[in-house]
Amino acid sequence: MGLSSASTATEAIKLCIFDLRRGQQEGQELDKILFFFPADLPFSTQLSVIGLSEGLITFTRIFSPEAACELIEAERHSHVFYEAEPDIWMVMIVEKNESEAIWRIAALQKVLKEVHSLFLMFHGSIRALLEKEPAGGLIRAHLHPFMMDYLRVTKFSACQKWSPLDNCCWDFLFGKKLLLPSFRDCLKECGTVQMLNVSREAAIEVQSLVRLLESCAGSSPCYSLILFQDLLVSTTLSPVDTINLFTYAVLRLTPRTISSGVSSWSYLRKGSTGSSVTAGYTLAHSASVPDQYYCLPDTSPSGDNNYHVVRPLKRDRWSKAKDGFLVTDIWSAEAGSSTSATPTIWLQQTEERMYLCAYQFRSLTLILVVPVASILNGEQLVSLVKQQVLENASLKMLKVEEKLSKGWGGENAYHVSGYRYLLVDVDRNVSRASPPGKVTTLTKDQVLRTVIVKGPKVGRLFPLQFSIPKVVSLACTTTANVNEVWHKKF
Amino acid sequence: MSGKASSSQSSVGLSGPGGLSHVYIQYPPLQCEISGSRGLFYDDGNKLLLSPTLDQVFSWKTMPFSPLVAPTSDTISEGPILSIRYSLDAKLIAIQRSNREIQFWHRETGETFSQSCRSESESILGFFWTDCPLCDIVFVKTSGLDLFAYNSESKSLHLVETRKLNVCWYAYTHESRLVLLASGMQCKTFNGFQLSSAGIIRLPRFEMAMAKPEANSKPVLAAEDIYIITVYGRIYCLQVDRVAMLLHSYRFYRDAVVQQGSLPIYSSRIAVSVVDNVLLVHQVDAKVIILYDIFADSRAPISAPLPLLLRGLRRFNSSASRSGREDIESSEANVVSGNETITYGDEWIFLVPDLICDVASKCLWKIHLDLEASSAIAASSSEMPSVLEFLQRRKLEANKAKQLCLAIVRTIILEHRPVPMVARAMDILVTNYSHSIKTGSYLKGIKSEKTSPSTVPHVSSPSAVAEVTASRVGALEKSVQHEFAAGVDSELFNRSSTLLSSDSEDNAISEPQKTNSSDIHFFYGKVDGENLMGAETSSTDVQPTSLQHQLLGPSNNALNANAPEQQEAQLTSPAISPDQMYSFIFAPIEEEMVGDPSYLVAIIIEFLHSANSEKVKVHPNLYVLTIQLLARYERYAELGLYVINKIVEPSKEVALQLLESGRQNIQTRKLGLDMLRQLSLHHDYVLFLVQDGYYLEALRYARKYKVNTVRPSLFLEAAFASNDSQHLAAVLRFFSDFIPGFQSTSDHNTYYRILNEMNSSIAA
Repeated sequence: MGLSSASTATEAIKLCIFDLRRGQQEGQELDKILFFFPADLPFSTQLSVIGLSEGLITFTRIFSPEAACELIEAERHSHVFYEAEPDIWMVMIVEKNESEAIWRIAALQKVLKEVHSLFLMFHGSIRALLEKEPAGGLIRAHLHPFMMDYLRVTKFSACQKWSPLDNCCWDFLFGKKLLLPSFRDCLKECGTVQMLNVSREAAIEVQSLVRLLESCAGSSPCYSLILFQDLLVSTTLSPVDTINLFTYAVLRLTPRTISSGVSSWSYLRKGSTGSSVTAGYTLAHSASVPDQYYCLPDTSPSGDNNYHVVRPLKRDRWSKAKDGFLVTDIWSAEAGSSTSATPTIWLQQTEERMYLCAYQFRSLTLILVVPVASILNGEQLVSLVKQQVLENASLKMLKVEEKLSKGWGGENAYHVSGYRYLLVDVDRNVSRASPPGKVTTLTKDQVLRTVIVKGPKVGRLFPLQFSIPKVVSLACTTTANVNEVWHKKF
Repeated sequence: MSGKASSSQSSVGLSGPGGLSHVYIQYPPLQCEISGSRGLFYDDGNKLLLSPTLDQVFSWKTMPFSPLVAPTSDTISEGPILSIRYSLDAKLIAIQRSNREIQFWHRETGETFSQSCRSESESILGFFWTDCPLCDIVFVKTSGLDLFAYNSESKSLHLVETRKLNVCWYAYTHESRLVLLASGMQCKTFNGFQLSSAGIIRLPRFEMAMAKPEANSKPVLAAEDIYIITVYGRIYCLQVDRVAMLLHSYRFYRDAVVQQGSLPIYSSRIAVSVVDNVLLVHQVDAKVIILYDIFADSRAPISAPLPLLLRGLRRFNSSASRSGREDIESSEANVVSGNETITYGDEWIFLVPDLICDVASKCLWKIHLDLEASSAIAASSSEMPSVLEFLQRRKLEANKAKQLCLAIVRTIILEHRPVPMVARAMDILVTNYSHSIKTGSYLKGIKSEKTSPSTVPHVSSPSAVAEVTASRVGALEKSVQHEFAAGVDSELFNRSSTLLSSDSEDNAISEPQKTNSSDIHFFYGKVDGENLMGAETSSTDVQPTSLQHQLLGPSNNALNANAPEQQEAQLTSPAISPDQMYSFIFAPIEEEMVGDPSYLVAIIIEFLHSANSEKVKVHPNLYVLTIQLLARYERYAELGLYVINKIVEPSKEVALQLLESGRQNIQTRKLGLDMLRQLSLHHDYVLFLVQDGYYLEALRYARKYKVNTVRPSLFLEAAFASNDSQHLAAVLRFFSDFIPGFQSTSDHNTYYRILNEMNSSIAA
């Protein structure tokens, strides 16, 4: 996706989530609002944004009940709509920039979709939370920290990627602006995973490890996800869950993110580039405003309200234990007292609640997803699984890590000199892009004159009409069905 | 013959009737009763059992072993016989008449000549024929070795070389071509020579270890306590230490003799046999056998001590049941009546490698290994993979070993044994297969199996190494190629032998089985010889293994006698090819298995892992099976990874299965289509595109790759089905333009009319 960014005015971006089924009575309009960013906007402004959106949705539904409004292009703003759940809408309003911004609407929608998917994974559906507590306090208590964490997440990762030459990056840190990254920062398609190329030999080794891991959970059906650095190596999850978990892992679980934030900053200063990580958008978020506003202290969820809110996206909360497993205190709030409760997630495919165990060995990250058994002692099951993994799979993991490291060409392995590219295999939700470090070397002119070459339609099979340099054709797993953004350097 | 039915269990209390036993002898034995016999001799160079009478010598072939073989006879002159051996080309008979003289017979002409010691002080301990290029026969004397060449012109021997040494007694086996000469006060200092077709190799002098019963006594090592055995092409010497109750083993290399550790013994009298490279240590007093597989470093027995089983003997049978052989009247004495006296009776002489001669009843037994039982027994005590390893090393009953391996693997998979364990099993099988492919024994085995179905009966009896060799050879053509074949095989052995250590001397160490000097000195007439007995008679002859062929070198025509038999063949290697793995393991198991396929997939992955590391190709059907399994349980994510990472190797079968399985999952179907395209199966690719409704793409593709085998009507139908007149027109136009004469076909006419109707209806 080519998101062209620009430093814009304070209110460059607004983001809101609202429920059409609520607040239909006169005077109760505020009920509709589940989340609004920036939160310190006056309610009247918030309501007017939502009112406009609601009006448009209602109007367009007359013609297209199934898929109502997708986009409003106003003179100075674009309104991007996404119906996350029936009658629950997410709307993002982006200010248009005279010179630079060419937003790809689909990309913005994917950002909204990504947030929602992650929310689903950790908290279940918004509707369910609403039904749990119709007053709406619960969902707001969940949504706000979650969204803010998400925005902060992406700010952070975007900063990592930012070249020090771009002095505007410092603006983010202290200003209050939400910025979308441009493809000067990175090339990235939301809702896709980046895969590691592996040789057949290594792939067999990996699969053998996968089987071993599965057997560790005994009879219960368990899934696994294996990452090398920031790249996916293997998954047994369904595509949608894979994407969610992969996104989360890249944000929070990979070796780079596990290492403390301090070292990440040094990354930034050296100008070395971070991962090909997600870049939602960038939030400049001063500590002063919103958390107070929503009565959510940073550290514990026990503020004024009594909701126990788990904040899985919170930064720097995962650490590597001595035994190699990743631990966090994020979930401990849920259990009330215990210090390290096992993280749980919801699988979208099966709608099952699962324990999340992550193990890290050098660059290798294994994520095991074990069902929360109906049997009483889930925690014991998890520790049993962990023990099994350590006992049975350690050797194999060592082997796999070795093999993968040998075959891994480094951060810039997939760089094609002279090209900036983003390959997307729509069928498999797999993408590959020029390494972020190389992306930033594009000059401004090139960026501006970029033509986004749209690939063939999804679902059709065409041979590619242009020739791909050999390296790339090795890199991309399927050559057909590729949407392309293809930048040619002079 | 049901082995179980036999009542014959020896008295050994360990087992009840039908009890466990891993080694058996098969009734009936070879009867070698000749009236007037003056003793039994075993000529291990030619594998003949010899029984001289006053003026004749009868000989029975023991290779291949058959109880029904009839003796041949040669006339000889009267006189004492200390030992007797046929020359390797079977033209001469050499008879030691005294400790000073050996007499030679020319079998065709009946001419004779003699060779005797020159000096008074020395005496002949024994002699043996050799295929060494330098000489034809070697005399072992108290003063050393005399090497003679036979001159067929002058019909005489001339001395080629003399090796001066003091010799107390000696041991020689033809299969090892190794002669060990004992010297010293305790007879524990040894000089060794190997006289192979490659020449003469002198081994370094070495001493054997002997424990002292008390401080000052010096036990003397006897010839009976030394066994030369050949296992997996390596030559070992086993030495009984009666004081320490240990069986020391020494391995011979070209330039070194290395002690290899010791086995405990539990009987004052022991005997050693080698069957199919398995070492059998008979604890004679206890009447049990302990099996060792001296392949790896482990000296642990394969299984617990178990008695020898006599198979096929009905309890009450007397001579009647032995109908075939009239010449045995004395039978009741031993064989039939007292089973107890039979097994491990005092009259039993163990001929290495695998024969037992019962001197009293004049019969010869062959020792067999019961693979089924021994693997079952071993399985109970040790790990499955090591049992598989053991089975994979068996050559004699390769087919049986193979079947057992298959059964074992099937069982462990069906029992859902832990994956790592099954993985090891897979690894063993695949490694073995790739090894046998490299050495060629696998293919040869297959061929010979086909070419000689008639030999099947033989097969059932483990008939000794020779047969194995033979079968390999049989695959090739004739004796001409023996050497070549043998060479290959020996290579195989050599490789395996390198496992143990710097085995410098492959050629040298070639014998598969061992003979022991002391084995057959049983004469009626007491020969008063000093040590003679030991030496001569003894060397049990076993058929040369392939190694020997090689050793024989160009001159090995001498072995031709054996060659015809050797043609009989059978599967020579228990190696299991990936195809067989599929059809005998995975396919049947897939049918039997119910429930979650992930276990089976895990096993398949492990199998692919092994196959990949050995670079062995896997049957495409296995990939098809994998896809079916994954698709059946809707694990499309993994399926996709497998295909993309090429774990499942592309092939047409795989592509079609992907298309089939992809009916439920569009991504999988696309993988199949892509695979078709990548394999350049243009016709199929176009066909499937059309089927899926992408007829325009299909046309484009067809044009680009000049695919003209797909019927135009298919495209037209698809275009018509899409109900788009423009597309239909385009397709029609395409064919009109690019297929000459298309306009006159009925297809064209039909669809042209349809197109017109469509257009008119729109216009209307």
